[in-house]
Order: sequence, then structure tokens, then C-alpha cells
Amino acid sequence: MKTKNASARRENDGYLFIIPAFIYMLVVLGYPLVYNLILSFKNVDVKNLTKGGSVFIGFENYINLFHDSTFLLVLRNTFIFTIACLVFQFTIGFAFAMFFNQKFKLSGPIRGMILVSYMMPMSVTGLLGKNIFSNAGLINDLLGKIGIQGPEWLVTGSTALIAVVIMNCWVGIPFNMLLLMSGLTSISQDVYESASIDGANWGQKFLHITLPLMRGSIMAVLMLGFIYTFRAFDLMYIMTAGGPLNATDVLGTYSYVRSFTQFKFSEGAAVAMVLFACLFIIGLFYLRMLAKEDD
Amino acid sequence: MKKQLTLAIAAAAASVSFSAVAVQAEPTEIELWHYFDASADAKAIVDWVEEYNTLQDDIHITATYVSRDELMNQYTVGALSGELPDIGMVDSPDMASYISLGVFEDITDELEAWGELGSFYEGPLSSCMDPDGRIYGLPQNSNCLALACNLDALEAAGYDHMPTSLAELQEMAAATTDPDTQTFGFAMCCISTEEGTFQILPWLRGTQDGAEAVNVDNLTADSAVKGLTALADMINNGYMSKECINWTQADAFNQFAAGKAAMAEVGTWHLAQTDAIDGFNYGFCLLPTGDEGTSSSTIGGENFGVCSGAENKEACVAFLEWLCSQEKEGEWGVTAGKIPTRSDSTSEYDYEQEGFAVFTDEMNYAYARGPHAEWPSISEAIYSATQSVFVDGVAPADALAKAMETISPIVEETPLP
Amino acid sequence: MFKTKEGRKELVNSIVAIIIAIIFLFPIYWLVQISFKSDSETFGKILTYFPHEFTVDPWLVNLTDKTFLLSLRNSFINGFLTMGIALILGVPAAYGMGRFKVRGSHVFLLTFLVAQMLPASLTLTPMYLIFNKLHILGTHFTAPIAIAAASIPFAVVTLRPYFKSVPKALDEAARLDGCGALKSFLYVMIPAVKTGIITIVVISFLNGWNDLVYSMTFNVNAEMRPLTANIYKFQNAYGTKWNCIMAYGTILVIPVVLLFIFLQKYIVGGLVAGAVKD
Repeated sequence: MKTKNASARRENDGYLFIIPAFIYMLVVLGYPLVYNLILSFKNVDVKNLTKGGSVFIGFENYINLFHDSTFLLVLRNTFIFTIACLVFQFTIGFAFAMFFNQKFKLSGPIRGMILVSYMMPMSVTGLLGKNIFSNAGLINDLLGKIGIQGPEWLVTGSTALIAVVIMNCWVGIPFNMLLLMSGLTSISQDVYESASIDGANWGQKFLHITLPLMRGSIMAVLMLGFIYTFRAFDLMYIMTAGGPLNATDVLGTYSYVRSFTQFKFSEGAAVAMVLFACLFIIGLFYLRMLAKEDD
Repeated sequence: MKKQLTLAIAAAAASVSFSAVAVQAEPTEIELWHYFDASADAKAIVDWVEEYNTLQDDIHITATYVSRDELMNQYTVGALSGELPDIGMVDSPDMASYISLGVFEDITDELEAWGELGSFYEGPLSSCMDPDGRIYGLPQNSNCLALACNLDALEAAGYDHMPTSLAELQEMAAATTDPDTQTFGFAMCCISTEEGTFQILPWLRGTQDGAEAVNVDNLTADSAVKGLTALADMINNGYMSKECINWTQADAFNQFAAGKAAMAEVGTWHLAQTDAIDGFNYGFCLLPTGDEGTSSSTIGGENFGVCSGAENKEACVAFLEWLCSQEKEGEWGVTAGKIPTRSDSTSEYDYEQEGFAVFTDEMNYAYARGPHAEWPSISEAIYSATQSVFVDGVAPADALAKAMETISPIVEETPLP
Repeated sequence: MFKTKEGRKELVNSIVAIIIAIIFLFPIYWLVQISFKSDSETFGKILTYFPHEFTVDPWLVNLTDKTFLLSLRNSFINGFLTMGIALILGVPAAYGMGRFKVRGSHVFLLTFLVAQMLPASLTLTPMYLIFNKLHILGTHFTAPIAIAAASIPFAVVTLRPYFKSVPKALDEAARLDGCGALKSFLYVMIPAVKTGIITIVVISFLNGWNDLVYSMTFNVNAEMRPLTANIYKFQNAYGTKWNCIMAYGTILVIPVVLLFIFLQKYIVGGLVAGAVKD
């Protein structure tokens, strides 16, 4: 069993540690991924799954999807939801990160406390959203106190989408803040001080020092944010069930309903593949970026 | 083919184990899944199963609660996953579709040997049949929809009676609505599930301007459009909360019980929950869905069937026969606030007797849904059309025409009974 | 104290921070306060901001319910099994990738990074069909198996830099003492990256605890589902009982908050490391 040299032995040992996890990933993710792809080219539903007789139908599921007005609406919702969430959670998260990056006593404790919303189970967040955005709920009660007649949030399409974006930002802002702070703290204070000596004002410092030096963190946060937000499921499933009339339906929930309410497994698989394709494109950028940073 | 073989083997195995049990006297374990979740019926089903377990030694039944949506899903996939209970409860309009999927055992021969099928009302029993008339289960309870009224609120608005026509309902809803106190005139459930369709249908099937009520294969008829328009008007005028699209029937009843809605479309079973009503005088009347003095409603109810591959099928059928016996049917009605499915059973209601009288009368105007193997698709078309009117402001005629685009091909292929 | 410019800044910052905290924590207060309201107050016409008729009934309803207690057990099983799989497979893999020069290490890293991004929707249907074929739907293992597929990559990505940063001398010394790779891994390396391990323990537990989609898809029977999937229970024949739902939700959040209070620095460090590589 003795190998010729020490480095080769070390390499083999390395494999021994990595392989079990790698095989697990192949079996639990890789195989289903391929299975899902195949499924999306077939016509498997609950009837032919029981009795047999599913056949390959090529791109029919995909063609049907892009002729289905509901699917196109869902695709649109998913992008609107993702982009709206990204914009708000990133800008507010960035502002919070800069704010809490200042040295004052409450900075640490409060920055930590608000992260709880990120750690909570989404099913609780969703129910909370359903409660506070009901017609006579907390949000409208507060609006009423300042003389505004609140909308019927969850029973009107456009406002329902706003409501789920708000709930998602409640979760996303602290997370963005956290990631951006780690980028901020890595910028040396000396850079700012020498800029101050040169007479740079706050805005100039932000534009010419903070942003360029934070480029890596910012890109990572935006891409990760996209990936996590684009695949949303729990929040809509619990808070609005995709309603009213698909107004808050996103690819994640739509795929789920196709597969597990209507039991059209192949159609659900095709929706999931579209979801994957969108993530894959963004993911490629993210991976390329990581590869550049990596040794 | 393979599946049939498996079933045949399972059936053979079941009959073998049956005879084996007779010698050993060790009861077969039987799983019963139900979705009763009101405290009275949830408790009753467990108690009754216990009672039956002590009455005989063939089977020992365990009742398990599975939420309604989950149970329906489970029947759909159950045939393939094999994860079916031995005995299952099902919402009556959905049974035909599960029969077509092969979820339930054909128990016609056993039930005919029993000799009591003639005592069941035709409507509920037909929901247990396939198109050839084979029987796959027994209807365990019936219910329908009527109108609950807050008499104090009506009196305050100047009315000394409950509405008797759609026009009067609209008038009274307008008079009892008060935006300042967040009080609505009317509440019902228009949720995007079978519950929504159940409550929406009476309004589509009302008698308008002397015209006959229509079935779901003709929803573009004037009477159906007029019914839906009336509901849309109530939403648009603020007499009914738009949140009804997210309310279950229980939520709608709670609005009424809390005094937030002066009138509400409620089910028979709510009579067992009237203690939740918040200290006002209330009454029940026929659902005024059309012309003066006319009414329409929907029959609801739950069936019990023996699932495919069940162990000890004969003993399971025997349990169904006991559960739906003349005596037990009457008892269940009182316990759960339902109406017996047998003409020879009487429920001696010791509460809300006037209310039960109204609902029993309403049964005369209540239509069954289907039975049709594609009912879930028909139902989806109906609640989606209604929601598109309420949420997106689609014209009722257009929405119903769109629903018919889905329904027409289905009923052309297999007509409604 | 606030007379200096610095002092005033501290005061203003503190006030702003407190306002932010109130906005972000108010929904959690809302959750908890509803759980102590009576039925009539929850259904009442007037929205109250704290319980006027204080009651613990909603809590008792939950805590005396058999399905609830089973769900609680199932949530812990989900959490601990996910954690177990993530530790047993993820930690060695991170070690292998952080300490050894292995050919194709980029492929491995890429695999784990991609795996972290995959949406549940993508693997849910195939997994369901496979588990169905294996007749293991409705068992305690199915959901953790699926959830761990996200926790393992997290463990690898988070821990790899930790292992990298351990001084070479440390495990070389162990090897000179005659320790094999496995021994030096267990007795030298793991203690050296304890901080990172705690992060994995907490986050993978929470992954399991918070899961909804896998647990509800793979288990139909309410008695096999975790709390996240059964919280719906109070939308039933009696309508939406917000006080009971919120008590249920509060119980679901308590372990999260406890872990957070006691292990905050590990969670925060881990989240950053797992998301943005150093």
C-alpha cells in the first residue's frame, strides 16, 4: 500500500476526505438535476406515472410554457420581485452598513439584534406578513393614524406584490448590511484620513474610495442576493399562496403547484429548469468572480 | 398490467389474511384518514372508531387527521406511492375524480348484499359512483348553505324580516354596511379552492326573472351572469369585503359571528358553532339567490371509501356500513351539525332546531356538484372566474365566458349527469 | 457628556440606531403579543397593540396538543439530522480541500459553490419521485437528506479558509508524532478550527429547523411534519385563529433567538465567510 512519494500520498489522503461529500452531492443533487432535465422533456403526470406510458415530447413543455399567459406573468413577477428586493435591500442595507460602521456604543448590539429577522423561519415571516398586511391589520392601522387610508394590500394584485417585497426586505436588509459591513471594515481608515487632508468631502470619499474598494463585496452581495431572491418560495407560499390571481406567483411557487397540486410533474420540471437557467447565468458571473479572487 | 396484477395479489392476500384473522382473533390494523377538524366532529370520529374497535375483533382502526388539502393530494399520488390509508374520507364532489384514478375499491357487491342502499338519498349516493353506476363508498353526511342574519343589525337598519330575494339582499346589505365601524352588509367565502366554488355556485344557479336555474355547463346564461354581477356589485360598493377571496368558510362565519358582517352565507355545520356568536340576535333563512321566494344552494358532504389495496376489505366495508347505519347517521347529524344522508334516519337536534329546519328545507333547493371525474378542473374555472371579477375587475359575462372555455370541452367529452 | 461634538454624534447615532431597532423588531413583538390575546380580542373590531385580556390559553392549546408535540420533536429531528450529515461529510471535505493539494480541486469547489445556489424547486420533484420509488416518503430521513445537500456546501465553503489558515507546523508536528491523516484531522485540526465548527453546527441546525418545502412535500401525515409545515393547523373549521398561530410561531422562533443570543458571533462570522470569501 506504500505510495512512491509523500506528496502523492498526501494527495490521495485529500481525496479520501473530499470524496464522501462529493458523492453525496452527486447522488442527492446531481442525479435529481439530470432526472429533472429528462422529466422536463417528457409528459409525466400522476396518471401515466401510475399506469405507465409517459413518452418523450421534446420541447413541447417549454413551448407550451412560453405560450401560457400565466407563466409569462409569473416570469415577470419573479423579475419584478427580485429586482425590487435587490434595489431596496441593497441600498438600505448599504446605508445601514455605513451607519453601523461608525463607532458608537449601541452599534454592535443593535446591528446584531436586527439580524434575527434573517434567521427566522420564513413560514413565520410569511404568516406575520399575512397578519400585518390584512385590511384591518397593523400596517393599515398605522397608516390610518397618520391619516392615510391604506390599500387592500393582499387582495389587490399590485399591492400584494409590494407587500411581499416589503416582507422580504425585512429579511434581506440585515443580511445585506452584514455582508457589506465586512467589506467596509476591511477598508483602512488611513485612506479616508489622507483623503480628508486633501480636502475631499463625504460624497467624494464615498464615490472615489468606498465604492471602488467595495466593488468585490458589492458584486458578491448583489449576485448572491439575486440568487437567493430569485428562487423565493416559502414567503409567497405562506403569505399569499401566489395570489390574488397569480399576482404574487413566482417561478418557485408556480413550479411547486404544477408538480404537487396539479401533479403535472413534467410541466413543473420545465418551470424549474427555466428558474435554473436564469440562476445559472447569474451564477456563472458569480463563479467567475470568485475564481478571479481565488488563489 | 403490472399494477392490476399487484392489486389482484393484494386482494388475494387480503382475503387470505381475512380468513387467517378469523382463526387467530388478532385484529388487522386499519388506518383511517379524515379531515374533520372542528372539535366536535374531530373528537367524535376518534370516539366512534374506538367504539367500533370494541364491538368486533376483525379489525382495529386508528383514525388519523390529515388536513383537507393534503388528504386530497395524497389520494392523487397515493395510487402510485402506495401510501394510502385503508379507509379514507373524501369531499363528495372530488370523489368521482379519485374513483377514476383508481384510489377507491369497488364495493358494490358488498353493499348490495347489505341491502340498505335504498335508504340513502340519491344525490349523496350518486357522488360515490362511477359513470357505470358501480359504488365505491358511502355518503356519511350532508350539508348545504343558507343565509345567517344578524337580526339586531337588520332591525337597526329598519328591517323586521330576513331577505327573500336577491334584490332585497342587496338592499339590506347596503343598509347594514357602515364603513366607519368596519361593518359589512354581507360576507361569504370566495377562496381559490373547492370551498370557494361551493359558496359561489348558488349565486350562479339562482332563478332570475323567472328563468330556470342553469347547471355549470351553461354559465354564460343571463341568470348566471346576473348572479355574479350582484356579488361583484357588493364588492364594488363596499357591502362585502374584498378579503373574501382569501377567506375560508370558517373565516366568513367568524366575520358574521364577530358582528363584522350583518349577513353571511353559512353552512349547516355552523349551527354547531353558534356559541361563537358575539351576543346579538340571529336567524337563518333560505339563501336568496334570485327572484322573490326562490332559493338555490349547493349540497356538500363527506363520503367514506375503502382505498385500493386495503387490508381486509370486507371488514372495512362492514365498518362503513356501521358508520352509515340508520342510527349512527342520525347521531352524527346532531354531533357535528350535519344532515343525515339516509331518508330513514332522523337527527334529534337538541340545539338550533329552527336553524336545522331552515337547512333541511334548503336541501330541497340544493344542487349536487357533478359527479364528474374532471370536477376539480371545472371547479377551478369557476372560482378563478369569480376572483378575476373581484380582483381585476373583469366583466362578469367575460369572466364566465372564459370559464366556459375550460368547462365546455370537459362536459362535451363526458356530459354532466 | 454630550457637550462635545463627539458626544453629540454618539447621542444622535444612538437614537437613530434605536429607531432602526424598533422598526425591525416590532414585527417580532407583534408576533409575541398576539399570542397572549383572547379569541374575542383577536377577532375584535378594534386592533389592539398589546393584550387587553391577557391569557396564556393559545400557548396551552399548543402545548397540550399531541400533534404539536410531535411536530416539535420532528423539528428537532430535522435540525439534528441535518447538522449530523453536514458535520460528518462537510467538515472532512473542507479539510481535504483546505489542507491538501488535490488535482481537480477547482472542480470540487465549483461543485459545492453551484450546489449552494440550486433552488429547491429544481430537485424537489425528482427527489419526491425517487423517494417514492424507494418507499421512504413519510420517514424522518427524507427531508434532512435533501436539506443537508445545501448545508454541506455551506460547511465546505465556510470551513475551507479556516483549515487553510491553520499553521502548517501544527499538523506536521502531529504527523511527526506518528499520527495518520485521520488522527491528525480528528485530534489536531478539528480543535484548531473550533470556531468554524460551531458556526456549522448552528447554521446547519437552523437550516433543518427552518425548512418548509422539503418537509411538507415528503411528509403528508401531520404527525410526521415539523412545526414549520404544521403552523397552518389553526386555519381550520374555526377559521384563522391568529392567537394560536402566533403562539405556534413564537415557539418556532424561540430556539432561533436563543441560539442567536448565545452564539451570535459564530453565526455572524459564519454568514459572512460562507457568502463572501475572504
